[in-house]
Amino acid sequence: MQRPLALAALLVGALTLSGLALGQTLRYFSWETNIADETAALIAEFEALNPGVTVDFEALPPDQYWPRMSAMAAANNLPDVFYMSSGFITEWHQNGLLANLQPYVDQLDLDDYFTGALSVARFPDPDVGNLHAVPINWVGPVLYYNATAFDEAGLAYPSAEWSWDEFLEAAKALTIDKTGNGRIDQYGYWVYGRYAQVEPWIYMNGGRLLNEARTRVEPNDAAIETLAFLSDLVNLHGVAPRPQEMEGIRQQDVFPLGIAAMWVDGSWNISNNRSIIGDQFTWDIALIPTGPSTTDRIGYTWPDMLAVGANSQHQDLAWAFVEFMTGPSRGASSFLGGTVPFYRPTAESEAWLERDQQPASKHVILELGQLPSRTSFTPNWSEWRGYAAAEGGGMNGELDQVFNGRKALDAAIASFVAYGNQVLSRSYPQP
Amino acid sequence: MRYSKLTPYLFILPMLIGLLVFRLIPIGASFGISFTSWNVFSPPRWIGLENYRTLLQSPVFWEVARNTVVFALVFVPLVMGLGLALALLVNQKLRGSTFFRGVFFMPYITSIVAVALAWKWILSTRFGLLNNALIEWFGVWSPPSWLGDPAYALFAVAFVLAWQSAGFQMLLFLAGLQNIDESLTEAAMIDGATRSQVFRHITLPLLSPITFFVLVISLIASSQTFEVTYALTGGGPQRASTTLAFYIYQNAFVHFQMGFASALAYMLLLFVGGLTLVNFLARRRWVHYG
Repeated sequence: MQRPLALAALLVGALTLSGLALGQTLRYFSWETNIADETAALIAEFEALNPGVTVDFEALPPDQYWPRMSAMAAANNLPDVFYMSSGFITEWHQNGLLANLQPYVDQLDLDDYFTGALSVARFPDPDVGNLHAVPINWVGPVLYYNATAFDEAGLAYPSAEWSWDEFLEAAKALTIDKTGNGRIDQYGYWVYGRYAQVEPWIYMNGGRLLNEARTRVEPNDAAIETLAFLSDLVNLHGVAPRPQEMEGIRQQDVFPLGIAAMWVDGSWNISNNRSIIGDQFTWDIALIPTGPSTTDRIGYTWPDMLAVGANSQHQDLAWAFVEFMTGPSRGASSFLGGTVPFYRPTAESEAWLERDQQPASKHVILELGQLPSRTSFTPNWSEWRGYAAAEGGGMNGELDQVFNGRKALDAAIASFVAYGNQVLSRSYPQP
Repeated sequence: MRYSKLTPYLFILPMLIGLLVFRLIPIGASFGISFTSWNVFSPPRWIGLENYRTLLQSPVFWEVARNTVVFALVFVPLVMGLGLALALLVNQKLRGSTFFRGVFFMPYITSIVAVALAWKWILSTRFGLLNNALIEWFGVWSPPSWLGDPAYALFAVAFVLAWQSAGFQMLLFLAGLQNIDESLTEAAMIDGATRSQVFRHITLPLLSPITFFVLVISLIASSQTFEVTYALTGGGPQRASTTLAFYIYQNAFVHFQMGFASALAYMLLLFVGGLTLVNFLARRRWVHYG
């Protein structure tokens, strides 16, 4: 009687021990709270493919994500795999927090991926350096337009061939007081000082916000010309509302609520547009028109990335998870609205293009991805640019003063350049 | 029952540990951190008084400090006046006064973020309840942008916070009012004092210890304003409604300048500590105990 019992105990013990040896837990953190369900489904799929592996997943909104990640980095307790942004990757790499993924990436056939998105994650050299994160998707600003409003005004839809004058003429024709009470009910355009609304115009005009070495804020003439153009839309032509007039409405709701007939912002807004607009009007997207100072089209695209913690105890498994989340095994349906999968065949698939839904021209985002891309991300970017909970300050705050008619553009530029260089001097001390 | 001298301390030990770990040690540590440059994810670097020098030379700091003072000057009288007025109202022996005590206290126990979101909608420039009322009923053709105009934003935040927290001050004043011996007011009335004379010469002086307490906690509350700013204006437009506590949050958790944020926190401590000290010194002139 005792022998079978002892045997059973031994068996249970052995199974438990082997289970502990096999059972590996990966910790995964993301800021994509709005696709948490889809992510959980993907994780279940990954776990099924890798018996004995558990993925501990947590999603936090960006304003909570970065403080938490920074605290975990300080405590040397980073997750194995985590989201990394273009705005933070340089500092995180400089602090040795990110694993070098180049040996793993070398085994991939990169022809199948949007390699233009990789340069931001290569160190030390953006062209040939080692990859320290892999894009999960990329995004970029596009021109949203209310096709129904265009039809009603008898206008041709926006096209990449438009000049800025043609854009302005359309915006004028679309600025309408529908009720005749003296208040504009529909503006032609909507803009405030936000990076995703200003920079795409600057780059499409051949402009730059930074110097060549990316160590100082130094807007060139084309950038200043662009800022003047945007300011005139509000202050001179009155085809866009002052930002303070839209106070109390979420900025991303102005276009879908029909208050403005055109708008430039990130491609990820497609899902918000879909949920607010429904079938109230027809809308679509186009490339932002090229400015008068250049004939080159320069896009503004940037990736959201997955990184592996430099001290992760499960580097191989972490890479397997990164590969799973960024490669062919992940279907188009788990990507939100206008976020483009890093894996090209998925992005080019009918499932991602969603031709049966608005916007009809989702392929425009892929065209944007073909253009050479420019960005202005630096260490402490959010501080000098004025982003998220600091949106009221920095370049964003200064431009809003201009759009609100409270400050001259020259003074605002002088002010954000001085502030930006003071912030950048912490990372790049000036002689 | 016999017990060792240490036993009571054993019972308060959990609280003491909590106080030490979550309050006192971080307060001490942040004093040390204020002499470093620290972005959280890399080791802190000692820079001596550099953070203090930077902030004292920074026009942004002085702008934010000025906002903090203006905010306190608006918020404190407003919330105390509102609290006292509500307390006097619900102190009447009228039917339903208990119900109204609950109603007036309600905003205080409502989530401040929910309160701010509701007010954001009320104060919205184009679709807000207030501006549409101004247009429809008062013919104000172009009403202000309460949250988007630097001239109003700070006052709007102060008003919303006062509206939200006045219920608490009301409760404190109410306790003070109910503590006043009715025979004193009755005696004054018999001697021919009017209601306003009774209020000025009996009620207010006897209420002064409570008024002093409410003043101190309101000042501290005004210097700690964060959630309502975060949800209502985000400190904007262009820092017009950024007060020190919000500026500390931005530097600590948006820009990850922990050293600078810690130095700011100690400036805030100086500010609040200084004001409280002045209050304690000045109280001899106007606070009457018993």
